[in-house]
Amino acid sequence: MRKPLLLREPSVMIFISLLAAFTLIVTVLSEGFGLGLVSTSMIKILGKTLCLCLIAIAMDLVWGYCGILSLGHFAFFGLGGYMIGMWLMYERTKDIVLGSLAGGALPATPQEIEDAIGTQIFGVVGGSEIPAIWYFADSLAAQLALVVLVPGLLALVFGWLAFRSRVTGVYLSILTQAMTLALSLYLFQNDSGLRGNNGLSGLQNLPGLTDVPQSIVSVWFFLASALALGAGYLIAAYVVSGKFGNVIRAIRDDEARIRFMGYPVEAYKLVVFTLTAVIAAIAGALYYPQAGIVNPAEIAPIASIYLAVWVAIGGRGRLYGAVIGAALVSLLSSWFTGGQAPSIPLGIYTIDWVDWWQVLLGLGFVLVTLYAPNGIGGLVDRLVRKDAS
Amino acid sequence: MLRTVYLILALSLLLVPARAQDSDLNALIETHRSDIEKPSRRTIGPVLDELVASGLPGVAVFLEHWREKKLWQRKSDGRFFFIEERDDGSIGLVDVDSGAEMGAAAKDGITNLKPNSGVRSMIASALVQFQLSDPDPQRRAQALTALERDPDASHLGVLRAAIDNETDPGLRARKERLQRSLTIQFGSDPATRVAAIESFAGDAGVDARAAINPLLATRVEVFDVIPDDLNIARVLEPGDDIAAEAAYQLLVEAGKARPIVALDARKQALIANLDDGAVGGVPVAELDTQAARDRAYQALAGAGAVPPLVTEAEQRAALEGHVFAEVYLEPDATLTAAARATLSDISSTVGFYRFIDLVLDGLSLASIYFLAAIGLAITFGVMGVINMAHGEFIMIGAYTGYVVQQVIPDYTTSILVALPLAFAVAFMAGVALERLVIRHLAHRPLETLLATFGISIALQQIAKNIFGTQARPLTAPSWLDGAWVINDVVSISHIRIAIFVLALIFLGLLLFILNRTRLGLEVRAVTQNPRMASSMGINPDRINMLTFGLGSGIAGIAGVAIGLFAKVTSELGSGYIVQSFMTVVVGGVGNIWGTLAGAGMIGSLQKLIEFFNPSNTLAAQTYMIIFIIIFIQFRPKGIIALKGRAAGD
Amino acid sequence: MSALLEVNSVSVAFDGFKAINDLSFEIGGQELRAVIGPNGAGKTTFMDIVTGKTRPDDGRILFGEPMMDLLRLSESQIARAGIGRKFQRPTVFETQSVRDNLMMALAGDRSPLAVLRYRPSGGDGERIAALAEEIGLSDQLGRVAGELSHGQKQWLEIGMLLAQDPKLLLVDEPAAGMTLGEREHTTDLLRAAAQTRAVIVVEHDMEFVRRLDCKVTVLHEGSVLAEGTLDHVTANSDVIDVYLGR
Repeated sequence: MRKPLLLREPSVMIFISLLAAFTLIVTVLSEGFGLGLVSTSMIKILGKTLCLCLIAIAMDLVWGYCGILSLGHFAFFGLGGYMIGMWLMYERTKDIVLGSLAGGALPATPQEIEDAIGTQIFGVVGGSEIPAIWYFADSLAAQLALVVLVPGLLALVFGWLAFRSRVTGVYLSILTQAMTLALSLYLFQNDSGLRGNNGLSGLQNLPGLTDVPQSIVSVWFFLASALALGAGYLIAAYVVSGKFGNVIRAIRDDEARIRFMGYPVEAYKLVVFTLTAVIAAIAGALYYPQAGIVNPAEIAPIASIYLAVWVAIGGRGRLYGAVIGAALVSLLSSWFTGGQAPSIPLGIYTIDWVDWWQVLLGLGFVLVTLYAPNGIGGLVDRLVRKDAS
Repeated sequence: MLRTVYLILALSLLLVPARAQDSDLNALIETHRSDIEKPSRRTIGPVLDELVASGLPGVAVFLEHWREKKLWQRKSDGRFFFIEERDDGSIGLVDVDSGAEMGAAAKDGITNLKPNSGVRSMIASALVQFQLSDPDPQRRAQALTALERDPDASHLGVLRAAIDNETDPGLRARKERLQRSLTIQFGSDPATRVAAIESFAGDAGVDARAAINPLLATRVEVFDVIPDDLNIARVLEPGDDIAAEAAYQLLVEAGKARPIVALDARKQALIANLDDGAVGGVPVAELDTQAARDRAYQALAGAGAVPPLVTEAEQRAALEGHVFAEVYLEPDATLTAAARATLSDISSTVGFYRFIDLVLDGLSLASIYFLAAIGLAITFGVMGVINMAHGEFIMIGAYTGYVVQQVIPDYTTSILVALPLAFAVAFMAGVALERLVIRHLAHRPLETLLATFGISIALQQIAKNIFGTQARPLTAPSWLDGAWVINDVVSISHIRIAIFVLALIFLGLLLFILNRTRLGLEVRAVTQNPRMASSMGINPDRINMLTFGLGSGIAGIAGVAIGLFAKVTSELGSGYIVQSFMTVVVGGVGNIWGTLAGAGMIGSLQKLIEFFNPSNTLAAQTYMIIFIIIFIQFRPKGIIALKGRAAGD
Repeated sequence: MSALLEVNSVSVAFDGFKAINDLSFEIGGQELRAVIGPNGAGKTTFMDIVTGKTRPDDGRILFGEPMMDLLRLSESQIARAGIGRKFQRPTVFETQSVRDNLMMALAGDRSPLAVLRYRPSGGDGERIAALAEEIGLSDQLGRVAGELSHGQKQWLEIGMLLAQDPKLLLVDEPAAGMTLGEREHTTDLLRAAAQTRAVIVVEHDMEFVRRLDCKVTVLHEGSVLAEGTLDHVTANSDVIDVYLGR
């Protein structure tokens, strides 16, 4: 009889315990729920980081385990954000519109309400009609379903096309990058129906819960993100631990061989690609309400490459590696670019980290690729193995 | 002939001493003194006509001075003079006719005549006939340009008169062309107008269309029955050719139907008739649907408080009872028929030229993509390596060009220096990248892709730190300014021609290197079978390094070329990188012809999509990428694929 | 006895070079067959065509009971239909344990969702143990496959093929790089396998072919030159010409 997953893989147990402890401590120390030692903005940063860790797990699954270097998973992340953003923005605008129409001499008709919402939301791109793609924006349940369905379907269709034509390796990477670019360029248009380069904004406000202060809302989202990360980690660990995991690793290592063993490689890739796209979308749907705004720039191809960088630095082929990489690099990144890092005076020139962080990151990443191909996770593995022997 | 006359007149003016008595011109303007003093657009016409008709030699000079506000009037007797400022600061009066000195004047004794712009333009058009026959060809050309810009019925005769004496063939052609287009607009005889219209058949000039199009202007009218005496363009079917609302509005404007009370007006009417929490018997709280509001409004209308609604049936009946038609403003049907036939002929010619223009545009975009992608294709083909920093090598080339221009101010020299220097700098950067990074990641293409991405973000940021975020200019030498204009539809800028030539040069150069040199032989050997090549004494490391350097160097050159028409920023290269990848993927790896085919396809495709959707280049790019993804389905190995067993692995 | 695999006048060309030229071939349900031929005779391409890696320009390939058209199937479908292939270079999954390698190869539903729900049953464990016994890797089950010796990898790969339980086994140069003892073991494995299924061995090494003691097919320039016992074909003058270049 096989042992349950948590006991079979010690790293899963350790990770879940650490995540639970971290979540508990941060909540206790938070401004909204506890001692007030962790500020609301910090909670938001931590909550967003948890979401980035979740998409990093998806990336690790698709790249580290299945060998598909997707440069498009941030597209799914962004789409998830857009889908939930549509509901948030629509409902909040509706609240505002109803408030302002309430003062009129006659009660507003549905048409008047819709016109007012349309003008509010789309005035910025010179429109007033609510596009057809917003048909479900009034329903939270529908938009939540779309968070999963839209990116999932996109991944399914794109993956089916790409995998069935046996596009692999760097070709596939470039094709995924092209898909991302196409999507972001499309969203940049004003008539995309999603407010062009303005994106969707004001997402930090929960419709109908305007009296709840941000300090509380931020903790809710933090907790939700932690829960999603834990669940995502467990799902990913389940997927990679059994025979399925063996098969996708085999696909990564020698696709032709496993195909001659009778495995429909394309179907496996499609399952992994779509599953990870959905995980990425859920991460995005939790991330953007904490960020407050989602716009096409978020989907730019470079974001997806950064995702690959995080996973590579953290150590791919290990789920905790992806989490370490995403958390470390994104937190360091905001520390350096936020101007908190001390400048280094060199006499004639002062290294200001706001300007030089990218250089450090880029070169550091090259060094990791050259000298530590297994990333930080690889170092952890080596330490653990030394202890064991 | 006329010129000789002018010459004689001018000479005579110089020779003949100033006459004491008033000349004919002075007498003539004296008779119109009050109109000249206070000219208005309405009154000045006959005066100008009379002046021109007099045929007096000084008229042209007089009109020119007048138009340019150089005509003065002596307050004491109201006589008109030109003036000249003397060396001692005093003002001398000059006779308008003879040009003779007429003595000094005090500043406060004379007034400057400043006709308003409307009058000035009328003077100018009166002057046209003089200018059209001016001895100086440049002035004739200017006059023609002025005429083309602001034509007038009165010019037609003048223009016709000025054609015969024109000696310059270019100007003569222009005059004749203008004469024809003026005939279309202002000709009196329908037959000559039709002939003039038809003479433009197949002519791609904008002026031809501008002359003919006004003839086809229409207005929409509503009739009970269409009268026979109107030149009808077409009958409009409400709902199909014209929106039903707009058609009904026409009926309302023509007084043939009752106006519809607008939604908002109805709402205001309801508010105005609020009575004790209800309108027309409907409680206010229930008025939150349009149906309820309509009910309330109809109740009000029933009581006579508001005008009744126009029902849909009533609207339909009104529309059915009338005929809507587009009517030509031009009453003569033969003219409009000729205009329509000629325009459709023109539009097929224009369509042909548009296609040519599209091909040229596509070609020029293709050569840019080719330059940007060929380096990538070479390194990808030989080493199986995707260099994400390729775009940054393009950027390095562009900044090299910029720096060279800071040192060498002469644009021509600096471009000639910048091209090889950009190649050298990018070559060295490429060799460094190959030796320091890529060599150590052999056979790990995905890692190479990511490592070069690290290089790419580092290089981009370094460029930003050195050159700042604002765009730096890379100025083209003046001989590259301007464009090669074939006609009003087809034109291509010199820079794009230069880039096309540059792409051709590099195509030839690379074909030569790969097919005719030892290096090329070794490169091809390594591409096809690295293990076999190295066992034959070819050092693959050296080949890889040189190939990478070559690919990067060409990217540097592409950077200079792109910098000439785009702003040089640290993001210059990343804007081209995805297109370059696409070019390589679509074309097929490891083959120069493949890259050429890929660049050609992507360039022309992008222009083609932009042609169908010109307002939206973003959408064009989106569609193009989707097309490429679908294309890959059918040719996963690109347009020109390596075949055989070796290609499968 | 009817044939398990029927190849009917198949041809394929790469850039004008005819790698396989009007080749016809047949093998029965329980038969061991050696395919020999000089370099470039089309041996590997023949295997590529049967396993679906290369599509022929011409001809028909029928397989199984009842006969089905292999040209309609993808590589993985052909494998599931019962054709296993062992490549020249040993290709096992080096980062995974011997047990995992065998488990992946075990016959069973290969669709992603079924595999995702898969739980190893007692029967599977026994089958893996039996296979490991057969290929002599019983005490290596927990090891990572990458650490095995060259010969052990070859056996593991044969074991994986047996685990697939194919009706037809294609083996490409199994003896290459093996010690004498390992060769003997390999010969035994293949002959045992041929008791219950068809096995086609492509081999260069005449000594090894002799050891197999089976019918031999000689390929030359993409078609069958001779067929029969080894002694019979080595006596054939055409074969001597080809091999000795006379």
